[in-house]
Amino acid sequence: MKKPRTGPRLHSLEVPLDGSTLLVPSAAVAEVINPQKFVPVPFSQPWLNGAIGWRTLAVPVISFETLLGAPAHTHPEAGKIVIFYPLSGRKDWEFFAMFAMAEPRPQLLDGSQPVADASELPASPHVAAGLKVEGRLMLIPDFEAMKKVFYPG
Amino acid sequence: MTDANQYLRLQMGGASFLLPSGTGYTIEQRENLTTNKSPEGNVAAWQSLRSTRLPAYCLDAMLRVTRHHNWHRVVFLDALPHAVGLAVDEVQLLPRADTIVTPFTPLGHPPTRLGHLFAGAWVTGNRLMLVFDPKAIVAYLQGLGEA
Repeated sequence: MKKPRTGPRLHSLEVPLDGSTLLVPSAAVAEVINPQKFVPVPFSQPWLNGAIGWRTLAVPVISFETLLGAPAHTHPEAGKIVIFYPLSGRKDWEFFAMFAMAEPRPQLLDGSQPVADASELPASPHVAAGLKVEGRLMLIPDFEAMKKVFYPG
Repeated sequence: MTDANQYLRLQMGGASFLLPSGTGYTIEQRENLTTNKSPEGNVAAWQSLRSTRLPAYCLDAMLRVTRHHNWHRVVFLDALPHAVGLAVDEVQLLPRADTIVTPFTPLGHPPTRLGHLFAGAWVTGNRLMLVFDPKAIVAYLQGLGEA
C-alpha cells in the first residue's frame, strides 16, 4: 500500500452500497433523497433499476453493484437515493442516481489516506482507484468509464 | 382538435405511457378490427384497408408482446410503408396545460435502430410517465413483424 503525502483537502461523500463503499466528490452530488418507487424503463440494461421523478425530471437510477457484475437485487426501504449531477459534457438535465444502503457520510480527504493496491479492487473498468479511509476500502468510481456505458455511441 | 404539445396517455398492461399528439395517429375500436384467432404470432389484430392489412400489437407494461384480450382500442401510428397499431386498455387525450414534459435520456444501448423508445417524461410529484419517441416506437413495432 502506498502512502501519499498530504495535500489539498477534498470534501467527499462515502456512499454505502451492497457489499462495497463508494467515495465520490461531494461536488458531484446534487441531493440525497428518501427512496421512492422506481418506474421501470422497458428494455433497459440490468444495471438500470428504473427511473424516479425528481423535481420536474425523470432521473435514471443505476445499480453500481450490477455495473461491477453483481446480480441485480431488490432494495431495502431504509436506504437513500443519491442524485448525481450530469457527467461532464452531458446535457444539464441528465442527472443520474444511485441507490445507497444508508445515508451517505461526509469524508474530508487530505491526501494522507493510503491508496489501495490494485489487487484489492474489483476488476472493473468502472472503478478508477481505491482509498483506505479509517482502515476501510472505499472505491472511487470512474465517471468517464461510466459515461461510455451510459451513453454509448 | 389536438396540437403538438398535447399528449395521448396510452395504458398497456397496467402501465401508462405518453405519445406526443403531433404524431399522426388514428384510433380504432376493437370491433372494427379483425382479431388474430390464432394463439401463435405477434399480431393481436389487423385493420383491413383495400389491398393491405395493418398489424396491431398488444404489449405488456415492459413493452413485450403479449396476447391478452383485455384491450379495447388500437392506436394506429402513421408510418411508411403503412401504419402500425398499438392495442391499448385505455387511451386519453391529456389537457395541454396539465402536462409538462421534460427531456429524458434512457441509459445504455438503445433497443431500436432509431434510438431509445423514450425521449421525455412527465413528472408530477412522485408520479412519472415516460414519453415515447414516436419514430423509435414505430421502428420497434415494425420490427415485431408477424411471426
